[in-house]
Amino acid sequence: MPVILKIILTVSFNTDEASVTVKECIEGIIGGIDYNQNKVNQWTASIVEHSLTQLVKQGKPFKFIVNCAIMQKSGAGLHTANSCYWDTATDGSCTVRWENRTMYCVVSVFAVAVTC
Amino acid sequence: MNLHCKWILYTLTAFDADDVFGIIKESVEGTMGGNIFQQNRVDQWTSNVVELCLSQLSKLGKPFKYIVTCIIMQRNGAGLQTASSCFWDDTTDGSCTFKWENESMHCIVTVFGLAI
Repeated sequence: MPVILKIILTVSFNTDEASVTVKECIEGIIGGIDYNQNKVNQWTASIVEHSLTQLVKQGKPFKFIVNCAIMQKSGAGLHTANSCYWDTATDGSCTVRWENRTMYCVVSVFAVAVTC
Repeated sequence: MNLHCKWILYTLTAFDADDVFGIIKESVEGTMGGNIFQQNRVDQWTSNVVELCLSQLSKLGKPFKYIVTCIIMQRNGAGLQTASSCFWDDTTDGSCTFKWENESMHCIVTVFGLAI
């Protein structure tokens, strides 16, 4: 009887690569700029869209969620947490924290494997 | 399978934001209701909120992977802007955001649901 061997390839999320991608996007959009209430709306939208585009270009079989928070530096406390219910073997997340003299920027990327 | 059955199947497996909104509201109000911002407790609060939400969501028994994020910020006039961008299946996946505040802090919780 012939033996049929099935090989299933699963790709797991590469957090280092994603961190680098996101960091470049942030620097490109708000690097060297001071907090500006009128522009912050535009900045968060650009950061998430740009990061998402770069991640999708990598062509990996994932659904992505990119979340960005920009907060003015004024002494207020900020705390963020996230919890995920998924397949730990294939799915993953990475968080990039960035700051300059006037603001903090926290970007989180969540990648959920697509099973075709 | 006739058209009526197909429609029911679709509504059962698409992300239901109303159900999720109720779950988030109870988790946040239960954890933070009546409290004042305290730096040494905020860690515990964010963890409680996300864990509570996630356990209620998994109890729904739907074929979804979930990501819950929670931001707590002290109210002192600082500006905060958040944005998310998602690369997923529009017909089945979705998100729900809940904003809560009292005199001393803001709390923003977002749930993303991705169909398996």
